[in-house]
Amino acid sequence: MSGTDHSAAVTRVYDVLIAAFPNRPTDQAVDDLQQEILQRMDELNPRGVILDISEVTTLDSFFARVIAETADMVSLMGGKTIVVGMQPSVAITAAELGFGLGDIETARNTDHALELLGIQVEDGDDGDE
Amino acid sequence: MNEQPEPEPKTVGETVRSGSVRIAGEQDILRARQQARKVAESMEFRITDVTRIVTAVSELARNIHLYAGEGVMRWREISDGARSGIELTFDDDGPGIEDVQGVLQGSHSTSDRGMGRGIQGTKKLMDDFEIATDPDDGTTITIRKWHR
Repeated sequence: MSGTDHSAAVTRVYDVLIAAFPNRPTDQAVDDLQQEILQRMDELNPRGVILDISEVTTLDSFFARVIAETADMVSLMGGKTIVVGMQPSVAITAAELGFGLGDIETARNTDHALELLGIQVEDGDDGDE
Repeated sequence: MNEQPEPEPKTVGETVRSGSVRIAGEQDILRARQQARKVAESMEFRITDVTRIVTAVSELARNIHLYAGEGVMRWREISDGARSGIELTFDDDGPGIEDVQGVLQGSHSTSDRGMGRGIQGTKKLMDDFEIATDPDDGTTITIRKWHR
């Protein structure tokens, strides 16, 4: 229950920001992450942002709204957002709740997202599977 | 479409075990979710149902935090004849929901924080949904998920 495992991390890979949401973020952690993403957008001018929600087990309407809003803000700043890694049970629940993520693009994983953002990923081991 | 359920509290099933989480701050939304997850997992609900239950808890606990300030989530593992289930009751002494039919039907949302959307969604995720709301007594919402 310490504060640290509820916070999210923003890192830069190639010309893209990757923001990984923790497993059980508080509302505050979600808001903080949005702030941090926008700040790093301003500092680093990346071409896009990947929101990695593969650890997220609960996507409620608040969380979904912040994600959609963040993508809008990133777009206003000239970047593109891709959400990656939604768990099946989370996708089922979100669909039943009737909220999507607006027009945000999604991808199965970070490699696909990087590709969508136009980054050529060099991989030594040609592991498609 | 749906008749408003009778607000009089009737107990469904027999209590196998029970507990509660006080909701007084934002951090308590997370505590309520964790408690619900623990109970639902221990009852061996499948992962999709656990996610539905925890998501519903998140919506309703947040509504208490945002609109009533404080309240309580009570949970019960219940046994009702051949079936078993989890029941969660969210009780507050807040201002109540003025246009409850509008909220349930989706024609109304109290604010851009989207209480309406959360409540309608919660109803869809669960098997049972009962609401009693009054400006004097606050709001009580009871939800259940039955094991299948």
